[in-house]
Amino acid sequence: MPPTPSDSTAKPPLPAGVVAFVKRDCPTCELVAPVLAALSKDVPLTVYTQDDPSFPDGVERVDDTDLAVSWHHEIEAVPTLLRVEDGREVERAIGWHRGEWEALTRATGLGPGLPELRPGCGSLSVDPSRAPELAIRFSGSKLQARRVEIAALEDEQEAFLDRGWTDGLPIVPPTEARVLRMLEGTSRAPDEVVAIVPPDLAPCTVEKVAINAVMAGCKPEYLPVVLAAVEAACTEQFNIHGLLATTMSAGPVLVVNGPIRNRIGMNAGKNVFGQGNRANSTIGRALQLVIRNVGGGRPGEVDRATLGNPGKVGFCFPEDEEGSPWTPLNVEFGFEAGTDTVMLFPGEGPRTIVDQIARDPDSLCHMFADALKHMLTPKMVLAFDAIVVVGPEHSRIFREAGWSREDFLAKLHALTLMNGDDLVRGAGGIADGLPDGVRGKQIPKFKPDGLRVVHAGGGAGLFSAIIPGWANGEMGSAPVCKEITS
Amino acid sequence: MHDTVDLEDRGIPSVFVSTIEFVDGADAQAKALGTVPSAVYVEHPIQDRTDDEMRVIADKAVDEVVARIVG
Amino acid sequence: MTTVLLDPSSEAVPAERIRAARLAELDGKTIGLLDIVKARGDVFLDQLEERLVERGAKVKRYAKPTFTKPAPIDLRHEIATECDAVVEALAD
Repeated sequence: MPPTPSDSTAKPPLPAGVVAFVKRDCPTCELVAPVLAALSKDVPLTVYTQDDPSFPDGVERVDDTDLAVSWHHEIEAVPTLLRVEDGREVERAIGWHRGEWEALTRATGLGPGLPELRPGCGSLSVDPSRAPELAIRFSGSKLQARRVEIAALEDEQEAFLDRGWTDGLPIVPPTEARVLRMLEGTSRAPDEVVAIVPPDLAPCTVEKVAINAVMAGCKPEYLPVVLAAVEAACTEQFNIHGLLATTMSAGPVLVVNGPIRNRIGMNAGKNVFGQGNRANSTIGRALQLVIRNVGGGRPGEVDRATLGNPGKVGFCFPEDEEGSPWTPLNVEFGFEAGTDTVMLFPGEGPRTIVDQIARDPDSLCHMFADALKHMLTPKMVLAFDAIVVVGPEHSRIFREAGWSREDFLAKLHALTLMNGDDLVRGAGGIADGLPDGVRGKQIPKFKPDGLRVVHAGGGAGLFSAIIPGWANGEMGSAPVCKEITS
Repeated sequence: MHDTVDLEDRGIPSVFVSTIEFVDGADAQAKALGTVPSAVYVEHPIQDRTDDEMRVIADKAVDEVVARIVG
Repeated sequence: MTTVLLDPSSEAVPAERIRAARLAELDGKTIGLLDIVKARGDVFLDQLEERLVERGAKVKRYAKPTFTKPAPIDLRHEIATECDAVVEALAD
């Protein structure tokens, strides 16, 4: 009697003894059919058939045409033989192999006249054309998010735009199949709460991150980076709520370190800040969609940015560690070089530093310092941090001079000491500025850990960049670096 | 019904008037567009009505029409 | 055939398409009457216009080029910029 198709996520139990999985449409299964018939006289044997319930002859058969049993027991090839004791699988043989079959079944003289071994065929439960449907049937109910039915005459894109769930750009519609596939990118449970997301302080599960990651266009292997980014963003230290609600232009900037950069194909070279690389473009976007959709943070509402910046669609890039003369950025945060991490920094769009003449590190630092002193406003000190992105043609100069990262930073800090007289209101013809109390004083533009150094960019072009920050301090945001775990 | 749905999306409260014959069609269309039908139904048929008869039909529908756009 | 997608939000609000807010009152508002141009619709709308004006509304009249297709986008835009509410009639 055929079983009713099951949509259960529960693993069906197996009968004790020897269990075989076969399909008629498999020459090896046809070959071993008589072996199974002979075995069934000596050992308790149950045979699950994936395609034709009348195959094979002479055995106790179970119809597994709906593939529930095969799928849950991870049968990848047929024939597969299992030994089941006390409700548990204790041994498995894949394909026909006399030695393995005899050991598993404790029988001898199996399949006289058959070759010693013969590989099997693909199990229907892992057939790529059926995988999405099976995943939904057997693990789909693991997904707890509300289902939204998009009616026949509705366009999926318009439907999501109308509901305010996109950033204005098209999204990849988050079908159950896509979200399940995305969830394969992590070993974390879909219902695990990743973070409480401001401003609405909504709990965000791994599943919700996966849905937004699908929409952003991420591949499953990017999901661990997005998860770490969501965790980092929602820390009190990073203060995503403040960053979102500001009238200033900054948004979350993500910098990735570790071998994961190459595993997922990120671009740390030419056009590193720009378009064209899927991982660079979609990981930052996924974070912003989570903040928008789960946290409720939207422009014109809690997001009050006057101007904003294009990076608020998403701004994520990897460090070029391989070409760097220095240790990776994450070492600054206490991680060992070679650890997969993502740093969240509250930042604006990058501005380029052009120096095409300098051959010595000292004069190059003067150029960097000049750009840093004028970052955001020349009349403010200590309130903002910055990322200094050193391009390869500039970093070569420091390498050749034997300068360490500490040397570079010390020089930048020394060169960005500001004269109080230049900071006061009216100085330089600029009305804005600090009160007269700073006259005669020397004040550093940046606090001691206010500059972060990252190495990135293409190999041709004597350019570097600054990514100006947002307010640091009590009411502001501090960079947070989190390890990426799978 | 596409027009009224589009106008609602633009922030304009709208209502669609049809004869009762159209009720299933209107319902299906609205569902297909992912919305709740906002329609007022008048008696059928109307093709062969005199002008005076049409005016009576309109008078009977006015209150319901207004109720759909004012609220 | 419907497509089923997963809700990416915190699910604090309902998932349906949000409708526009209704008018607070009729008095002084501009009501657009969009004629789909099927027979007898004009007489219906003329009478509706009279009644709406009696109730203090202003009325603007529009007509679709054909009832077989949605109204052209220019017309919808025109109506949306000129009117506070719209009545479309008369389908049979």
